[in-house]
Amino acid sequence: MNPIIAFRGVGKRFPGVVALADVSFDLMPGECHAICGENGAGKSTLMKILSGVITSYDGEVLVRGRPARFRDTRDAEQAGIAIIHQELNLVEQLSAAANIFLGREKRTPLGLIDDAAMEREAADLLAGLECPISPRISAGSLRVGDQQLLEIAKALSLSSDILIMDEPTSALTEAEAARLERVIAMLRMKGVTILCISHKMDEVFRLADRITVLRDGRLVKTVDRRATTPREIAGWMVGRDLGGHPFHGPRIRGPKLLEVRRLTLPWPGHPRGYRLQDVSFDLHAGEILGVAGLMGAGRTDLLETLFGATEPSWTGEIMIDGEAVRFRHPQEACAAGVAMVTEDRKRLGLFPDLDVAANVSICGLDQAVRGGIVSRSGEEALVAEPMRAAGVKTPGPHAAVTGLSGGNQQKCIIARWLLLKPRMLLLDDPTRGIDVGAKAELYQIIDRLCRDGLAVILTSSELPELLTLADRILVLAEGRITAEFSRAEATEQKLMEAATAG
Amino acid sequence: MPNHGSPGGGWALPRHELTLVAAIVAVFVITGWLDPNHTYFANWAESRDIILRNTAILGIIALGAAVVIIAGGIDLSAGSMVAFSATTCGLLLAVFSAPDDRRLVTVGPLGIGVAIGGSLLSGLLVGTLHTWLITAIRLPPFVATLATLVGLRSFARAMCLFVTKERWGSESQQINVNTPFFAWLKEHNVVIMTATFLVLAVLTWLILSRTVLGRHLYAIGGNEQAARLSGIRTENAKWFAYCFGSLTAALAGVFLMADSSVAQPGNLARGYELNAIAAAVVGGCSLQGGVGTVPGTVLGALFLRLVIDSVSKLIKASADVYEGMIVGIIVALAVTLTQFGHPGQSGRRLFSGSRGLAAIPTIATLAGLLAMMGGANVAAFADRTGLLGAAVGGITLVLLATVRWLEGRRVS
Repeated sequence: MNPIIAFRGVGKRFPGVVALADVSFDLMPGECHAICGENGAGKSTLMKILSGVITSYDGEVLVRGRPARFRDTRDAEQAGIAIIHQELNLVEQLSAAANIFLGREKRTPLGLIDDAAMEREAADLLAGLECPISPRISAGSLRVGDQQLLEIAKALSLSSDILIMDEPTSALTEAEAARLERVIAMLRMKGVTILCISHKMDEVFRLADRITVLRDGRLVKTVDRRATTPREIAGWMVGRDLGGHPFHGPRIRGPKLLEVRRLTLPWPGHPRGYRLQDVSFDLHAGEILGVAGLMGAGRTDLLETLFGATEPSWTGEIMIDGEAVRFRHPQEACAAGVAMVTEDRKRLGLFPDLDVAANVSICGLDQAVRGGIVSRSGEEALVAEPMRAAGVKTPGPHAAVTGLSGGNQQKCIIARWLLLKPRMLLLDDPTRGIDVGAKAELYQIIDRLCRDGLAVILTSSELPELLTLADRILVLAEGRITAEFSRAEATEQKLMEAATAG
Repeated sequence: MPNHGSPGGGWALPRHELTLVAAIVAVFVITGWLDPNHTYFANWAESRDIILRNTAILGIIALGAAVVIIAGGIDLSAGSMVAFSATTCGLLLAVFSAPDDRRLVTVGPLGIGVAIGGSLLSGLLVGTLHTWLITAIRLPPFVATLATLVGLRSFARAMCLFVTKERWGSESQQINVNTPFFAWLKEHNVVIMTATFLVLAVLTWLILSRTVLGRHLYAIGGNEQAARLSGIRTENAKWFAYCFGSLTAALAGVFLMADSSVAQPGNLARGYELNAIAAAVVGGCSLQGGVGTVPGTVLGALFLRLVIDSVSKLIKASADVYEGMIVGIIVALAVTLTQFGHPGQSGRRLFSGSRGLAAIPTIATLAGLLAMMGGANVAAFADRTGLLGAAVGGITLVLLATVRWLEGRRVS
């Protein structure tokens, strides 16, 4: 059998960085091929080349045996290649049908737009994908899982037979992910070739026939799924054996700092009616409390409520040192010694136009003021200690923060809060989008901060992370606590069962 | 980072500001040389006063616009705010003048103080209104200040009619101001306005780059959500920004009223808000927010006014006719140049597809017409304007067509 797509010595350099170097492998018709690698390994660059987003690169790509050099995504679409990005590409205000036919609208003989025909065809396509939504519903009002299927329907209507999927299940619920897996299996029956980027090993091993591992822009290996193990793949990704976690020895639990009693956060206009319901727990100094839960379980809502970042419409009690508090603005929480590292670093954390020092000093800049004026040397001295404590590696305090790696950016944000000497640190999925090496470093930093007496609440979408770091783990499902485990009791299996309960 | 124009960049002028200084020097030298009378070299004082006066007024408003833009907002209301403040000033003078003094000669120091204080206060009130509309009602800044752009001028006119009727028994669309203090202000307008502008610029620079409030303004403009989640009281910082924006316009209103010896809300400072925003943008402020500097804004205002003056010297035409075209072209060019300075965008094609094909004759026609109209004022071309227009249009057409052809070759 001839490969449907063949990469031959493909390379791409950006100014100062080699994103991809001499990558060669084949894609067989009808297979599901997974690409694994750390962030920055070159996965997305490869996808962008194949889908016509990047047009200048070294080497060549053969599609169905013929050399192809796409000038734009349209060229790639015409060659039957469609890409489903992690950030979906839908016009939220338009209907599902209009999105499927965007740019190729059907017309009546008069030249007017033919909604009826498009809606009929869209309904057929969506029904074939186990997605029973009305083609008239606006794309923005759909759940993420349905939006993704909408994109797949769009690809199918383009009669694409090569589908690229970038982290397809990262935002899906279990049920949606299972449905997507069935759809993928169905597409493969029809002979569609699937190229899939994924971080989730179990998913890769369920779906893929073959796995290609990239590291630092180079191809490490292409292997048959049956001939390898997740541990082996992870080892290739980082180029070393991961080994066990380094956090042995119990932490010393200090006095009780936070008490939460029957915390309920209403959710007006939503069928469930609440974001959080009857949440009660305690937190001690020198302790890491893990919060597990699927997307939408209320992890972020819980932390934001504690931090005063939501509308203060909650009921119940939040007590710090035995005193009831009700923060109406994050500033009040900061003043009370509560700090929060937000989930989405780019959107909610970083100031891209400010330099590293300014990003770190932003909450505590008052401390560098002399006579009403911010002292430059004072600011540098101010940020030096927290940056050291958080292990920030930067060319200098006035380097561009956008030039740092994801891990270092996250450390800058942790340093920002250390500057205020908080007593309680809320970490919302702090290692999302950070590569394996930097994750291990962050774990050590978080562990050290906790041993220095900080009370930490940590949420994570990766269960092993919680099992590694947390002393206790709460499980949220649909806004309620469904279980609480000590580290010794907890296993991934138990956590997942509790997270999917109710 | 330094050429992003953020605080903490040190004393050296970043690239954008240096480019503007070079451009200002270049325009100055080229104009002085090309101008048949060599006015800039031979009789600099006369041009200097015009340029300084205009730059000071534009610059004062532009500083306010820049602060709002850096904080991630926009203030479209400055022109109407100028008119509103001038009217407030005139009306308060009327209240403090002798009952039958319709020329407002008799106002004493107290009346003058209250009038100026009142117009500045009117700026703070409008700024507060903007902040309330934006933070409490959650109107987008564009909409909130569009409403006051339209509303304030009309409000000022109604106020003018009402107060003149109450005071003198007959309605008037304008108030003549012949108070000696304002006549003195007018006589020394260049020195006083320039000094005020420079002091205000230094103050604004201090606030933006050397205070916590300034840092917070940059932070809010760069990432408002992150700013709030970092414990910054974003509403308070915005309150400052919009008040500062309106206050600078109010200050300009007092000066402009003094300059024309009349408070006339109908037409005073129409369109000034857009020129001020243009000066800030030419000076390197990004309408996305979070980026911009005071030196850049000052140089941007100076550059705009210098080019306007230069064109009026070169083609002997009235400056205000060509002002809009000049500002438009400079804003487009300045933003284009800063964008093309970014890596990764250099490969973009200017004239691709049928769109590009249609753009070429459009630009060539505009260039030809502009050359024809401008040539009428230059002695050497005065009786051959048609030929000049055709020649410039034709050359532009050929040049752009060549660019398109080269682009096509590069791609394939």
